[in-house]
Amino acid sequence: MNQWAFVIAAYAVTLAGTAIVSLTSWRAMRSAERRADQLSDRG
Amino acid sequence: MKAKHQRLILALAALVALVGAGLLAASALKDEAAYFYAPNDVKTKGVEPGKAIRLGGMVVKDSLKRAADGVTIHFDVTDGKATVPATFSGIAPDLFKEGSGVVAEGAFDAKGTFIATNLLAKHDERYMPRELEGMNYNETTHEMKAEK
Amino acid sequence: MATLRFDGLAIGKMPYWRCLAGPVTDAILMHRFANPARFLKIARPLTTWLFWPGLLLLLIGAGCGLFVTPADYLQGQTVRILYIHVPAAWLGMGGWSGIAIAALMQLVWRHPLAAVAGRAIAAPGALFTAICLMTGSIWGRPTWGTWWEWDGRMTSMLVLFFLYLGYIALANASARQGQQGGVSSVTAIFGLVGAVNIPIINRSVVWWNSLHQGPSITLRGSSIDGSLLWPLGLTLLGFSLLFGAIVLMRMRAILAENKVEARMQRLARG
Repeated sequence: MNQWAFVIAAYAVTLAGTAIVSLTSWRAMRSAERRADQLSDRG
Repeated sequence: MKAKHQRLILALAALVALVGAGLLAASALKDEAAYFYAPNDVKTKGVEPGKAIRLGGMVVKDSLKRAADGVTIHFDVTDGKATVPATFSGIAPDLFKEGSGVVAEGAFDAKGTFIATNLLAKHDERYMPRELEGMNYNETTHEMKAEK
Repeated sequence: MATLRFDGLAIGKMPYWRCLAGPVTDAILMHRFANPARFLKIARPLTTWLFWPGLLLLLIGAGCGLFVTPADYLQGQTVRILYIHVPAAWLGMGGWSGIAIAALMQLVWRHPLAAVAGRAIAAPGALFTAICLMTGSIWGRPTWGTWWEWDGRMTSMLVLFFLYLGYIALANASARQGQQGGVSSVTAIFGLVGAVNIPIINRSVVWWNSLHQGPSITLRGSSIDGSLLWPLGLTLLGFSLLFGAIVLMRMRAILAENKVEARMQRLARG
């Protein structure tokens, strides 16, 4: 059972890291593209 | 010649020089960057007693003996070419066992026995389920065969 | 003399060496994506198409690796860390290879998207290198009996992580100075030079005695039994697709920021 603690720790680290980078990248993209679109709307 | 092509040739030449230099440096490091001495390295290069080194190899089957005090173990380490005796007092890692890899930190005594102060289990590149345990792995064909 | 026209390139008139260099330097891909608008037209749907299948494959692979495959005869359950450790290592090294290719395209062909791609790869590349180091450490403790040792593989992988940090710092500095795409020539050269480390990482376990085991999967086959190996294919592909989606998202963000900035500058100038 102790071995599972190591497995869970490794998967948790990976999950957290992947989730954070995906989420921040997506949010940065969305806000930047929104600002760029607003610019072109105003012409 | 277009500037673009000049840049291409320049960049490629620089890249080849760089990779060459890097690989040369890495191969020059061959001995310094080695993480441990194999028993054959000890034999051919000679390691003076008392010098702190790491010794790595396989634990010889049927060589593991527990001393009367219950915490000291004696075993032989081999790399297929040479074999050296080793001894260790303390708690060995779970995966330390006969027939599998070990890296021991410590020094040789005057009689040529390696006195380990720390043991690490070295895992090899084979991965298989428990049902296949005891089967022989053929390194060239990558096939598993039942042990005879 | 008949001239073969190929994507705006007159091959028939060129000397031989340019016949060779021409198609390479002016590959269709480069011309097609040189225009950010055309790149975005493809990148927008591609982001979705990489992200969701990637995530799905990743979850299936990780789930199978956690609950379906048998335990290893020696390592027991900790073998399951393999299914995330190997893709993380692959992406860490693949990411830097991407940075080096982007650097070459920036320095030689002045491709407008190369700098954007290089900067977009850096952060996820660094992250997966860190994940590789951490999961390796977590695996090493129960297997080897140590969290960290300075052997060839681990040290060269740590060097890769520091290279990423250096690249990110250089790219951020050049972005602040308003370099095109945010990667100066110095940064690109750094990305190219750092690529020397990639073959060293790959060969470290062969050249030097190391605590880390040798390669399990080689051209000759795999020393990982098939019953343990198959989820690795799923997670490898899943993580790779996800990585592609993350890089595309970051490229789109940088392109949009550049657009806003260019407009601001034009407005400021009146």
